[in-house]
Amino acid sequence: MSVSQLSVFAENQPGRLSRLTALLEREAISIRGFAVADTGDFGIVRLIVDEPKKAQSCLQAAGFLVQANDLLCLELPDAPGFLNLVVSAMADAEISVEYGYSLVSTYVVFKVLDVAFAEQQLLKQDIRIINQSDLV
Amino acid sequence: MNIQQRAAQPIFNPKFECASRDEIRCFQLQELRKQVAWAYEKVDYYRQNLDAAGIEPGDIKGFEDFSKLPLTDKTALRDNYPYGLFAVPLDQIIRIHASSGTTGKPIVVGYTRQDVEEWRYCIMAMIQQAGVVPGDRAQMAFGYGMFTGGFGLHYGLEGLGCMMIPASAGNTERHLMMIEDYGTTVLVATPSYAMHICEVGEELGFDWQKSTLRVGLFGGEPCPPKLKSEIEKRMYITCTDNYGLTEVMGPGVSGECLTSRDQQHIMEDHFYWEVIDPESGAVLPEGAEGELVLTPLQKQGVPLLRYRTHDLTSVTTVPCGCGRTTARMNKVRHRSDDMLIIRGTNVYPSQIEDVLADVEGASAHYRLLVDDETGLDRLTVMLELLPFAFTDSFAEMESFRVQVADKLKGVLQVSVEVKLVEPGSIERTMGKTQHLEDKRKR
Ligand SMILES: [Zn+2]
Repeated sequence: MSVSQLSVFAENQPGRLSRLTALLEREAISIRGFAVADTGDFGIVRLIVDEPKKAQSCLQAAGFLVQANDLLCLELPDAPGFLNLVVSAMADAEISVEYGYSLVSTYVVFKVLDVAFAEQQLLKQDIRIINQSDLV
Repeated sequence: MNIQQRAAQPIFNPKFECASRDEIRCFQLQELRKQVAWAYEKVDYYRQNLDAAGIEPGDIKGFEDFSKLPLTDKTALRDNYPYGLFAVPLDQIIRIHASSGTTGKPIVVGYTRQDVEEWRYCIMAMIQQAGVVPGDRAQMAFGYGMFTGGFGLHYGLEGLGCMMIPASAGNTERHLMMIEDYGTTVLVATPSYAMHICEVGEELGFDWQKSTLRVGLFGGEPCPPKLKSEIEKRMYITCTDNYGLTEVMGPGVSGECLTSRDQQHIMEDHFYWEVIDPESGAVLPEGAEGELVLTPLQKQGVPLLRYRTHDLTSVTTVPCGCGRTTARMNKVRHRSDDMLIIRGTNVYPSQIEDVLADVEGASAHYRLLVDDETGLDRLTVMLELLPFAFTDSFAEMESFRVQVADKLKGVLQVSVEVKLVEPGSIERTMGKTQHLEDKRKR
């Protein structure tokens, strides 16, 4: 289970993000979700794509700094209360979330320390866990 | 002994390079006295200066007397641009070179046929101590043109019996192709451009280990030790730096031998060196760090007496393990006029370079920016990250940044902003690397 996220170092300058997205487009890599965060000086672009290995190697070949991490990914039914259900379940299991964001469909990802443990806890709540092959 | 015989032995001119200190000093004094007389007789500028100081060439009996002569600064060359300091009619000058300098007019130097010959001789001795041998195939990555580096090394390498590949600066892929196709064994470049060739080669899948290249001759800019060792490791070559400046001749003033890797042998048969206190001008004892002052010993075209290089170094006359007895200067890491004053504190860019060299995760490429937008001087160090130093966590990246800033503050005694930038975003240049941009308005 779990999905692979690519984090890319980016300076806060015009055109940096488009250089990255243009490269992925050229390689026919589909972005399934992303988040951009910055500290004012530099940013980290976080990407969930359909072919993470290929994306990582082509980004690295183009000189980008890339790191891959496993994230917890799950489906949130589009109805009131489900996000609360998920985060409450994680809080009960003392799982802390570093960050999270939504992907295509009603998928969300969370950065947690122990992905497998979090998945176990959420399966108990009947939450559907998403893995990399669901994103293709 | 002819050049072929000289080139075939391990030391180019052992009679001088391995002579006793007394013999070397004796030769230098004799040449210095001739040189003072030549400058006095042929160049108004020196005659006026010596007259004003109440010194005649005949008064120079020893080195102490010579040290009383006024120092010559770059302004003298600028003020007398273009030909005011030439000692011979222009029809005896067979070449000129110029250095652009960062401000104002360039400075121009001229060489007689004999000057060109002496220069070639210095280069031959210098490259031989760097491990170049006749039959080497030497590829030039300096630009030819008014800059002394290209032609200076070119004629010296040819003189030693190397096959010259005058590729000139620029077009990195073409350089790589030539290294491969022509079986280049020696690369002449600035260290930053050599690094660029190395990186581009790696990206294109060039196998440096299998390449014929074995020697790097670096000049044109100071070479940080970390950069040099990185190039040696990645390109599988031996790199030596050499030192020189257009005003006194060009490259060939001093160079590394293969034994003493952090110092450079001065071509003492062609240059008399002194180290002075840059503030007072007083000559410092051997071994003390100060500003290097050079006097070329045989220069006919544009003689120079006690030229202030503004380069800070120290010199030792302790014999070297390579067998040479010629004096060795420490690598010039900073110049007295490179000093930055940040909120009242003196900072040398080379100090920053040294700190960064010890930071795991920082590449050898950096850039400095000084501004006073906030009303106070602010020094920003832009630093390229190495791939392994990047993590997905802002907290970790921030702590890396703060750790570098703290280390810098500890050494420089002034606080510094550190900014992390993408790999490759700091420009690699062919000529002198401009590490510094000073945008202060005051
Ligand atoms: Zn030596």
